[in-house]
Amino acid sequence: MYSTPYDYLPMAIMAAVAFGFVAVTMAATHLLGPKRKSEVKLDTFECGIESQQNARFPFSIKYFLIAILFVLFDVEVIFMYPWAVNFKEGGLEGFIEMLVFIGILLAGYLYIIKKGALKWE
Amino acid sequence: MTLTVFYLLSALSVFSGLMVVLSRKAVHSVLYLVFCFFTIAGHYLMLNAQFLAAVHVIVYAGAIMVLFLFVIMMLNLNLAAEAQKTPWIKISAVILSGLMLLVLVASVKGAEELSAAQPQNDIGLVKNIGNILFDKYLLPFELISLLLLSAMVGAVLMGRKEPQPQNE
Amino acid sequence: MTDLILLKHELLLTALLLIFILMKLGKDISNSSFLKMSNALLLINFIIGFFGNQHGQMFASMFQTNELMALQKNMLNGGLLLISLSSSRWLNNHIHLPEFFMLIVATLLGMFFMISSNNLLVFYLALELATIPLAALCSFDLDKRQSSEAGMKMIMSSAFASGILLMGISLVYGVTGTLAFTEMSSLIASDHLTVFALILLFAGFAFKLSVVPFHLWTADVYEGSPVAVTSYLSVISKGAMVFVFTSVLYQVFKPMQEVMYQLIYIGAVLSMTIGNLFAMRQQNIKRFLAFSSIAQVGFILTGISGFSHTGAASATFFILVYVFSNMAAFAVAGIVSSAIGRETIDDYKGFYRTNPFLSWVLAIALFSLAGIPPTAGFFGKFFLLSAGAAKGNYVLITIAALNMIISLYYYLRIVRAMFMDKNETPIGSVNLSFNERAAIIICIAGILISGIWNGPFHTIHHSVTEAFSITPF
Repeated sequence: MYSTPYDYLPMAIMAAVAFGFVAVTMAATHLLGPKRKSEVKLDTFECGIESQQNARFPFSIKYFLIAILFVLFDVEVIFMYPWAVNFKEGGLEGFIEMLVFIGILLAGYLYIIKKGALKWE
Repeated sequence: MTLTVFYLLSALSVFSGLMVVLSRKAVHSVLYLVFCFFTIAGHYLMLNAQFLAAVHVIVYAGAIMVLFLFVIMMLNLNLAAEAQKTPWIKISAVILSGLMLLVLVASVKGAEELSAAQPQNDIGLVKNIGNILFDKYLLPFELISLLLLSAMVGAVLMGRKEPQPQNE
Repeated sequence: MTDLILLKHELLLTALLLIFILMKLGKDISNSSFLKMSNALLLINFIIGFFGNQHGQMFASMFQTNELMALQKNMLNGGLLLISLSSSRWLNNHIHLPEFFMLIVATLLGMFFMISSNNLLVFYLALELATIPLAALCSFDLDKRQSSEAGMKMIMSSAFASGILLMGISLVYGVTGTLAFTEMSSLIASDHLTVFALILLFAGFAFKLSVVPFHLWTADVYEGSPVAVTSYLSVISKGAMVFVFTSVLYQVFKPMQEVMYQLIYIGAVLSMTIGNLFAMRQQNIKRFLAFSSIAQVGFILTGISGFSHTGAASATFFILVYVFSNMAAFAVAGIVSSAIGRETIDDYKGFYRTNPFLSWVLAIALFSLAGIPPTAGFFGKFFLLSAGAAKGNYVLITIAALNMIISLYYYLRIVRAMFMDKNETPIGSVNLSFNERAAIIICIAGILISGIWNGPFHTIHHSVTEAFSITPF
């Protein structure tokens, strides 16, 4: 199961294509598209509401709480990859081990629900 | 070929790391940090640690950096100009970190070879990590769930106001 | 799975943690009945801790336990019970009561794993488990700005300390190629890189123990946190750190005693002196106790520097004494703070007139902290200093003795304020609840009993000797 850096060549090519596509599209719109500059056109929102401040102003901590919880569960899910790959070899023992892991986190999840941390008043 | 890629990646990660510190705008710092994380994930791939690379991209470059952005957006950076530092603080910081670097370099140089640890080249593959994680490293694995649980409780506690403060 | 008995302390706490969460998930329970239940559970947990302790290793020898560790864990369990009892007034009025128990049990669980760890990875994870909930606990008075500040400072400084510790751990791993303590001790050689790694590890420990050059967070965090959390920080968290420090130091880094001795020597002298000098100037009683605890860490380090079984035993015994003494002092401060809301030392002038019982308690606790016989503190310090003297460094012992005299001055200053000074607006008399009274009486009994009867010290010394002979180092 030894893999060399060359095995990642397809991924490198794909990454290059992805970045390249973005770069080419952006360059192309710049070069090909017509440019009309007027005050209205350069406004942040064109919907008619005048923008009040710049983008840097403090916003609700609720977003942050959700983001933190997301990170925590993200880390949890990460551990499922190696478990899933080894599911057959792990057998019942591996299953129970994962069950304990998930069970403890499930308690946390229920707690979060109970506290209403995911509610968006 | 491998060596060329290594030097390229290293140069990129050092450059982006420096830019994280040197950028004047916080959001730029974050973006450079994301880039830095990607180059580090590249290093992991070179070491044949694909699982670590994937985790690094998903958790660090993905999730943690979102948190960083949120923190920056929560701080009111308009008002808070850069804190005034006296030259003395700057000078002493430079001297101290220079000394730290000197000690680190000197002590690493003194050690002839790092390692009793012969790198096992295929340990970083997802399958092998899974094997060892659910066997030898079971205790740390279960500890992580408790750690995440307590972090959840702490985060909810601090991040959330009670709907109606009840006085008992 | 008969091995699970080895994990008894940890499993019990995990069960407690889950029970607290389930209790929160169920019907809403009033604070007072929740408090009753959790006190009962903590008591059960404390009692079971004494039975069926064995020694052995688990999880590919990442986890180890022995009689000494069981004893240390029992001490910490008891400390947690005392905190819960003595701060029942504050807890009763807090809307987040269940969370308090969840978090505090989680940190204690982290400390247990830390004590029992036999591997740097487990050690590090356990340390984080011990620290992260603590930061949340520090900012537990959510409506107080100071408390949030304390939580913030706690998490920042411990993140920094963890970073340094991690760097040390990775260097050690680089040098030895293993994370297991058992294998590490035979692979450690004193080249420059290992010395550097050791210094980084020491710095990480010193942060958590608030040894002097790394103590800057202590006073602010102690002052801002609720009193229950402050006493937890200063007694239990510090105690657990001392236990881990001695076992890691004496077992893993045995080949590097000389380097370690220098570090501990410097840390001890600085902590004692600076802790004492700053303690003299404090007006807030929590800040005062913070600096006095820094000074106490200096004394503990003096004992540890002896590098002998007696050193480890005296440090463990001192923590036992410290649990009782500091807990009694914090109990009084906490009761006064939550009943009356006053925290400065000047407020304690004329305290004896209104609260004779509490004044005596505080006086005995302070005597014990100062090390005046017949309180337990005297023997605690005596054993520490004699263990330190075994190395023959009399400069260190002289400095320690001088510092004991300095500390007498400021401990007695409070006693004088309580008993002799007059105050036009003394603290009103406080009615003690059953829980508070029980906690205080246990503390005082502990101080006096271990001051006149040397049984506890011998038990500890015996289990230290046994523990060090069992583990294959």
